Amino acid sequence: MRITESCSDLLSNPLGGNTAAYLLLIKYRRRYRSCLAVDEMGETSSVENEFDDWFIESLKIYNNIHEYQLEHPTRVIEWTSEKTICVAGYSSDKNEILELLLPLKLFTDDNQGLCAERDFKVVHGGFSDGSIHCLKHIPGTRCVVTNDGFNSNLQVWDLGGEDCDVIKRTGVLQLKSASSDKGVKIAPGLTGDPCVLHGSQISDIQLTELTSGKPLYSLGKDIPDLLSSLQFVSGSVFLACACNGDLYVGDTRNPSGLQNNPAGGREGVHWCMGVKTDLSSSDPSSCSVARLSSACQVVVSDLRDLRAPLFQAQLHVQRKTTSDDFMKVTWAPALDNCLAVSGFDGMVRIYDTASWRPELMEFQPLFIHRGHMMSDDQFDTSSAVVTTHVWHPSRPRTVLSAAVDGSVHVWDWVDKATASC
Amino acid sequence: MPEIKVTPLGAGQDVGRSCILVSIGGKNIMLDCGMHMGFNDDRRFPDFSYITQQGRLTEFLDCVIISHFHLDHCGALPYMSEMVGYDGPIYMTHPTKAICPILLEDFRKITVDKKGETNFFTSQMIKDCMKKVVPLNLHQTVQVDDELEIKAYYAGHVLGAAMVQIKVGSESVVYTGDYNMTPDRHLGAAWIDKCRPDILISESTYATTIRDSKRCRERDFLKKVHETVERGGKVLIPVFALGRAQELCILLETFWERMNMKAPIYFSTGLTEKANHYYKLFITWTNQKIRKTFVQRNMFEFKHIKAFDRSYADNPGPMVVFATPGMLHAGQSLQIFKKWAGNEKNMIIMPGYCVQGTIGHKILNGQKKLEMENRQTVIEIERCEPGCCHLSLEVKLQVEYMSFSAHADAKGIMQLIRMAEPRNMLLVHGEAKKMEFLKDKIEQEFTINCFMPANGETTTVITNPSVPVDISLNLLKREMALGGPLPDPKKPRTMHGTLIMKDNSLRLVSPEQALKELGLNEHQLRFTCRVQLQDPHSDPDTLSRIYTHLKSVLKGYTIQHLPDGTVMVESIVIKVSSSAEEPNTKVLLLSWSYQDEDLGSFLSTLLKKGLPSGLSSM
Repeated sequence: MRITESCSDLLSNPLGGNTAAYLLLIKYRRRYRSCLAVDEMGETSSVENEFDDWFIESLKIYNNIHEYQLEHPTRVIEWTSEKTICVAGYSSDKNEILELLLPLKLFTDDNQGLCAERDFKVVHGGFSDGSIHCLKHIPGTRCVVTNDGFNSNLQVWDLGGEDCDVIKRTGVLQLKSASSDKGVKIAPGLTGDPCVLHGSQISDIQLTELTSGKPLYSLGKDIPDLLSSLQFVSGSVFLACACNGDLYVGDTRNPSGLQNNPAGGREGVHWCMGVKTDLSSSDPSSCSVARLSSACQVVVSDLRDLRAPLFQAQLHVQRKTTSDDFMKVTWAPALDNCLAVSGFDGMVRIYDTASWRPELMEFQPLFIHRGHMMSDDQFDTSSAVVTTHVWHPSRPRTVLSAAVDGSVHVWDWVDKATASC
Repeated sequence: MPEIKVTPLGAGQDVGRSCILVSIGGKNIMLDCGMHMGFNDDRRFPDFSYITQQGRLTEFLDCVIISHFHLDHCGALPYMSEMVGYDGPIYMTHPTKAICPILLEDFRKITVDKKGETNFFTSQMIKDCMKKVVPLNLHQTVQVDDELEIKAYYAGHVLGAAMVQIKVGSESVVYTGDYNMTPDRHLGAAWIDKCRPDILISESTYATTIRDSKRCRERDFLKKVHETVERGGKVLIPVFALGRAQELCILLETFWERMNMKAPIYFSTGLTEKANHYYKLFITWTNQKIRKTFVQRNMFEFKHIKAFDRSYADNPGPMVVFATPGMLHAGQSLQIFKKWAGNEKNMIIMPGYCVQGTIGHKILNGQKKLEMENRQTVIEIERCEPGCCHLSLEVKLQVEYMSFSAHADAKGIMQLIRMAEPRNMLLVHGEAKKMEFLKDKIEQEFTINCFMPANGETTTVITNPSVPVDISLNLLKREMALGGPLPDPKKPRTMHGTLIMKDNSLRLVSPEQALKELGLNEHQLRFTCRVQLQDPHSDPDTLSRIYTHLKSVLKGYTIQHLPDGTVMVESIVIKVSSSAEEPNTKVLLLSWSYQDEDLGSFLSTLLKKGLPSGLSSM
């Protein structure tokens, strides 16, 4: 008990100061508490009640929920095929890259009840000397490209085939970069030979062929703004979001052309972007771009006019972390108008933008996933911060999310509209 | 070199036949003796011919240890002991000893009575086999013989599951059986001390798995039960008397209490008493929470769960029934199933594995129409009204398969390695090709070797056991007296003495003491050597010249010129002689004892070089 009390001052300052020591403290406190919980049997604490409440509530609000605990937390979840994802550690020394096979239960639609398989299988794994902050799969290959968030080198990995379960590093692309200590953002090329678009700031965005390391395109403009997100919207057109919120449209066929769309007049010092691409349509202008700011604002625009927001919203979020590292906004690939936001606290929020308007207003989320704050060592709910999330490519309401404690959840929420009728 | 050999004999599949042979310090131990549930032929039992081609099992094996009562770990035991023939001791924990024969008998009934198989063990064989069992307590060191000792540790998984440490001298092996590193509603988590075994043998069926949380499994179960009850359906849960049933009951009881549910929950008759009996008996094997509250409130006596009566099955409205047996092959669970199968509002939840050929297995494979076997109909005719004996059952109710087995996954294996700190890791029952990454990971993280032998393949690990030797005080004092730097514990130092191996102890003593203790006379070993030398002097003069020469070369040695015409250097005797024909060719005779071998050979080499010219003969 004494330990719990003496730690509480330190704990009230989540992720400020010495994060490693803080996390260690939480671990220790959790372990200590698990002894307490046994000792104080009979009295149910309020925390346990909250936990039970959520458990009971979860019966109604989720169709399915699966909770996994990785040995080391990940800040990347990347689809490598229809049924596999890649995760990787981000600690300062040795890390693992794992390719996980999703449980069969998540893929059988008929007779789901007869399928008891609900565990992830580690199908491939490898070791990385550095941290992994960014990991992208190159479509159509067994290849992923990573960056450690501290230098400009890109590591190229072969995920391995049927005959071997080891992920091997096959190459390093050493790149010059102006602000290399901030790490590099990566966007895989969508067509042609395997290639990646990458950069640490707007001015050093470059397209590099993976096999030869040959630069195919580079941006000749001197714009020193740090890059926060990068994505192709067609074979050659890409979007780049600067940390200050400015949005750029580039074309790899035309090195001199770059369209700038300043954010202008909006709040927040750090911005990131989520793009909804419809690759089946040849017109890239149909895609929607959502920009999320550290002041919890979302601005949605489309490629026809990136300057004027189509609609926007102020999100009601009480930030639990001062870091902007984990901020993420994504569009649902199989659910109209929906986007997911995470990185401010232990929750993933789903918003339906259909009701949003051009004026800035506050909107409530359609659904909140609180699971990461209710993990098995459920004690410290304030410390949980979601590191990343991704949507299932075809199941409309299935999301995968990860948090700083190493938890990975796969959840499929109940649509209240259809449930009620 | 001392070595430990490990040979898995079982098959590597989901519900495999666990059986591992370990040879350590001259002892042979069989770890588990499981049956493969998927086969009906010889392949269901481990390949004992590996041993029997060399002789009888009893002669070869020093003991058999069973980790827990699941049939894939103990199912071949009566076959091995009574049909192949083994009369040595079989070790298992008290709960395993109590539950194992019940499951074996149950399985025998399905195989022999239902499927009509012959060449299978009988009830009597199960009884005879159990007579050879020696029970184990947790953390109690049991001496199998003078040298071999075993110790059981808590493994979680199921009631009575144990990990075992096998020790001969300073060499040891730990076998985990199935274990669970996270506590659940009725059992605790596996635990072992930092016993640093030479080899840690772990099952690896789940080694590459990242498990979904217990909580989500439970949630799914509750959701299914709740939905069915809400729509007015009936839920049948076929269970084994012991195992997950208790856990699911605690879960449902808690849920009913909390949600204020009214639908009745029943436990099939016999089940409650039997289960309660065992859990009361083995309360120390459950988790802390259950143990603590046991005095105030028995967690296995339920408020909402009541005893079932056959007539209740026809009652209208929703209900939940736990009934035995778990595979729907006979008895109450099958009777209820037949009554409820036709209604799509109802649900059956299968919480475990079903053997091929059982109704449970068929419906889990999605079979929608069941033809009841003849043998079953015979039983039915006795019980049912005429007319309903030609059963062709339409399965309309919802079938759910849920696995509640509690196994350690990839993370759990790493936790256990961290706990036990083994010198080598050995994973059995896995596909080596698919576990290269895990092997690398274990080897890198713990800097130990990781082995994955296939069935019938032997892994040999060389051990470096430290051999303690007592040194006599006299010898140490003598060593001290020789001077030199004080001994540095980090550096090896040579010392001489006589090793006496007697009464299982090793002692290093001075040769004199050894002689005295053993009542032996000392034997002298002397070397003699002839050296030819040209020296134009008389024999006595040559001797004097040698004396002078050695005096100047060997400072600090006792050198004597004795009147009998010899020179002594320590114990080395030197004589000079020559023949009358060649007076200048001197033959030097050197003689020394074994103890002065170094000095003796030095002198002979020195004198072979001849004497310097400027020596006076005094």
